[in-house]
Amino acid sequence: MRPRSLLAAATVATVLAAAGCSGTAKQADGTGAAYRLTDTTPAAGGDLDSFTWSLFGEPTTIDYAYSFDFPPNQILANVCESLLRWNPDLTTSPNLAASFANPTPTSWVYQIRPGVKFHDGSTLTADDVVASLRRNLDPEVGSVWGNQYRNVESIERTGPLEVTVTLQAPDATFNKYLAAGPGVVESAATLAKSGKEYGSPGTGVNCTGPFSFASWTSGQSLVLKRFDEYWNPQLKARSAQAKFVFLADPTTRVNAFRTGEVDGGWMVPAGAYAQLKDTPGGALYFGQNTTVATEVVNNLKGPLGDARVRQALLMAVDRKGIVKAGAGGVGEVANSLVTANNWNGAPGAAELIKALPEYPYDPAKAKALAAEAGVNGQKVVIATSPLDSQTTIITQAVAQAATAIGLKPEIDTIAADKYTALFTDPAAREGIDLFLTFWYTSITDPLDMYSSLRTGAFSNYGGWSDPKFDAAVDRAVGAYDPAAHAAATGEAQQIAMAQLPWLPLYTEPVSVFLGKRITGVKPSIAYLYYPWAAEIGAKG
Amino acid sequence: MTPATALRAAGSAARRLLGMAVTLLVTSFLVFSSLYLAPGDPASFLVKGRSPSPQELLAIRQQYGFDDPFPVRYWHWLEGVLHGDLGRSYLFHQSVGEVLGARLPATLLLVGVATVLIAVLGVGAGIVGALRRGTRTGSAVLLLVTVGAAVPSFVAAIVLRSVFGVRLGWFPTIGNGTDLPDRLHHVALPAIALSVTFMALVTRVTRSSMLDELRREHVEVALSRGLPRRTVIRRHVLRNALGPIVTVGGLLVSGMLVSTAIVETAFGMSGIGSLLVQCVDQLDFQVVQAIVLLVVAAFVVVNTLVDLLHPLIDPRVRAAGGAR
Repeated sequence: MRPRSLLAAATVATVLAAAGCSGTAKQADGTGAAYRLTDTTPAAGGDLDSFTWSLFGEPTTIDYAYSFDFPPNQILANVCESLLRWNPDLTTSPNLAASFANPTPTSWVYQIRPGVKFHDGSTLTADDVVASLRRNLDPEVGSVWGNQYRNVESIERTGPLEVTVTLQAPDATFNKYLAAGPGVVESAATLAKSGKEYGSPGTGVNCTGPFSFASWTSGQSLVLKRFDEYWNPQLKARSAQAKFVFLADPTTRVNAFRTGEVDGGWMVPAGAYAQLKDTPGGALYFGQNTTVATEVVNNLKGPLGDARVRQALLMAVDRKGIVKAGAGGVGEVANSLVTANNWNGAPGAAELIKALPEYPYDPAKAKALAAEAGVNGQKVVIATSPLDSQTTIITQAVAQAATAIGLKPEIDTIAADKYTALFTDPAAREGIDLFLTFWYTSITDPLDMYSSLRTGAFSNYGGWSDPKFDAAVDRAVGAYDPAAHAAATGEAQQIAMAQLPWLPLYTEPVSVFLGKRITGVKPSIAYLYYPWAAEIGAKG
Repeated sequence: MTPATALRAAGSAARRLLGMAVTLLVTSFLVFSSLYLAPGDPASFLVKGRSPSPQELLAIRQQYGFDDPFPVRYWHWLEGVLHGDLGRSYLFHQSVGEVLGARLPATLLLVGVATVLIAVLGVGAGIVGALRRGTRTGSAVLLLVTVGAAVPSFVAAIVLRSVFGVRLGWFPTIGNGTDLPDRLHHVALPAIALSVTFMALVTRVTRSSMLDELRREHVEVALSRGLPRRTVIRRHVLRNALGPIVTVGGLLVSGMLVSTAIVETAFGMSGIGSLLVQCVDQLDFQVVQAIVLLVVAAFVVVNTLVDLLHPLIDPRVRAAGGAR
């Protein structure tokens, strides 16, 4: 499932929720298979000595400045804490910042929680916060969160336990990002001492989370141990140790679940849902996600430059079929580039979602629309990578749709490393009309997604531009009032979904497998920033 | 051996060692240059996930020396390698030595166990196949060889893993293990998967090499004179047949170093095979260079050893060398 990581890297983006609230059984169309979203798994009945968790890849570092991928983030979420916390229900709450205020539109003041200990026993101060946040501005560091800090003017210590961030212009998402990677706080002394080695296997990190870094055997495993002086009794770790093993091959991972050699893992391969659903070895859970499988329109100079052709293409894609065949029946057709839970009860969100244009599967109508736009056997190149069956199935379905509306699809299969380059390197994207991404947001705000389609934005790959859209995004960024913010974001969303600079395919829930020894985890995309492993304990 | 032949033997050994050094040097140059000629800019990998400012990109290129002229970069690298410094992996934020050091033992154990399997079972089956030619046992060996040669290691890995790992639960399906017994337990299935094809090859070579020797006049004469069959086979047949077996064996052992990727991935082991795939994927040039160089060095060293061993095994080679 590496493509996801690619995407995440590019801009941390957006959502889905189609499935709605927890505990609802969803009937996947036509398959008869039902799946259920859950907020939580049965609470742990006791403490554990240790549990083993699988990752699909080995992190290259656990320095938060370079952690934007699933493997490092799901480890780091338990070791390092941010100023704010992204909760499993996708709300945001105070964390290392006990409180915060926004006295002027361009300043954010954070009161740092007193008495918090780092893993080496030293005490958290404003200096640690300043040093940690400032790294995101330092070109020498080259933090992956530079874009989230683009509006930051300065970060200053304004008291022993107070930090003030000054912005160049109002930015309604900046504060929200401080619940994710951009808000991580590490020990200033350790950062200075470790230098470039910070976060590497031999050095690790020094933070304040419920687990501390214990050891990292390169190529094999990374071990965390419970931090006994952790400040937050609610999230104190139930297990004395958490061991992460790196298993790249999906079948190897699934086998390890079945034999009990591994106790659990996020991101279960869709092909194994059926196999793991009713196994005596454990249970499979689904939870809230912010991910949408999306076909990026990369070339607006070709036949896809006409919005009618993009609309026709989307109408000709059998998205229900993709969910059924490619995603194990677990997912929902998407009408937006974000999931419904990304709005998280924002004022008027329900109406905004209801007003979205829909593109039901209708190849005949799609063909007529494309003909009207003058489509006549033009070539479109669809990039894909031989990563997993899901990716292959989606690509085939899109190619079929292109044929159905009179285009001539050509599938360009790209090796995994080159595929990553599509998200960063314009040269790599040359000659490609469409490519697939699983795009998620790491904050609860659809604007994270839509601002990346603004004219000139780094991830606006096709160079799409609409002045009304840009104006709506700009208004939303500057709007702190929740109603005004949601309304402006909704306006941008409406324009994007009518114009379809990207084609939303389907949303999928987060998946997690738990073996028979353990329980307590809360299935949610928040696992990338929330200390989920602390809640895992022994079965009752 | 007379002093003159001993001298000649030493001279030829010295020539071989010199040849080995030259081969390694030339290889190092080819490895280094081919990777830098490969498409893809490592600097763009380093900044993936964001749009770097031109200053940032420049800083990265300077830091890693991407802008130095090619001969300068090669010289720096070679100088480092000679000092035991293989550079720094930008994927793992560690020195390449550390990265390899963490993974090499697993691969060496895997290849070592596979080599033992090949030597014992492969050569053993070949001897049995030759001596029992025409009998039911002999045909069984031939059948096994045919099947074994046709089974790619990934198929063997999948079958072994699902039968003996998942279904029967006799062997672990992931990991490298901790202490030696545990490591051997972990490495058993991967080693079998890795060696199946090679084993079949060695069996075939052994069998035909033995059969060639058995047909020789001096063997037939020796047997007809009533010398014990056992002694004749050991002294004349097996010893003379060993040459081709050792040659093929040497190639296979070094070849296995690069064939481990699939097996390591299937069994969730971390060795240099899976590391190579990962680093090629991610353009981690320094690590790829080190692994390729290591494998080439293994090839060259093993084959030089085989060459040096030959005269000791087979007196005829020694005699031929003397006559030259």
